[in-house]
Amino acid sequence: MENKNPLSPHIQIYRWHISSLVSISHRITGIINIVAITLICIWVSLLVLGNANYDPINQLLNSIFGKFIAVGLIWSFSFQMLSEVRHLIMDMGYGYELQTTRITGVAVIVGSFLLTILIYLVGANFI
Amino acid sequence: MNLATKKWILLKISSIILLPLMFWFAINFASIFNGSYSEVVGFFTNPVSKSLFIFFIIFAYFFSALNISEVFEDYIGNEKIKYVANRLLFFSAIIIPLLTIIFLFNLN
Repeated sequence: MENKNPLSPHIQIYRWHISSLVSISHRITGIINIVAITLICIWVSLLVLGNANYDPINQLLNSIFGKFIAVGLIWSFSFQMLSEVRHLIMDMGYGYELQTTRITGVAVIVGSFLLTILIYLVGANFI
Repeated sequence: MNLATKKWILLKISSIILLPLMFWFAINFASIFNGSYSEVVGFFTNPVSKSLFIFFIIFAYFFSALNISEVFEDYIGNEKIKYVANRLLFFSAIIIPLLTIIFLFNLN
């Protein structure tokens, strides 16, 4: 049977707000994260090949490109975590006022960069 | 309870479980990603970090499969394409973590 349900209008139809930016970024980072987690699974699986075969991977991860990808991934995780907390709070019925949605949207965007720096510094034992 | 409500509840439960696991993994990933082979293997063979990582990938794939199927629902109109996309999505959400767990248990 043909499904008559309407599809979501494409995103360029709407005027952009902080909330729409956070919403579409939430979906994009969700897809980036699962692709990244798949690459992490491949990375972990390749460990069984032994120390000698790990050198090219180690060199890649120690290059500027590798570090950029790692930091980018930590940002994507950070954004997803903060945006998910915002979603959970809204699911409980809070934060729907226009001004509040703007403030929490900005908090997610700015907070994701701050959380990335914090996670990187803690992980690298700088803190 | 209809299917959409069940999916929404499962999505929310998995997101609550995934949040601390993702935070834990992000910190540890920052710590080990550019480490030596023995450091990385040491992390993934440690019983606590191995168990937490297994939970992390299981919940990450479960959560993502539900989330991405919502995107399919929103943007794919053709029912056959949507069905195939969902089957492929759920198949990969089972097979990728399963294979990774098998490799993890063969790591020493």
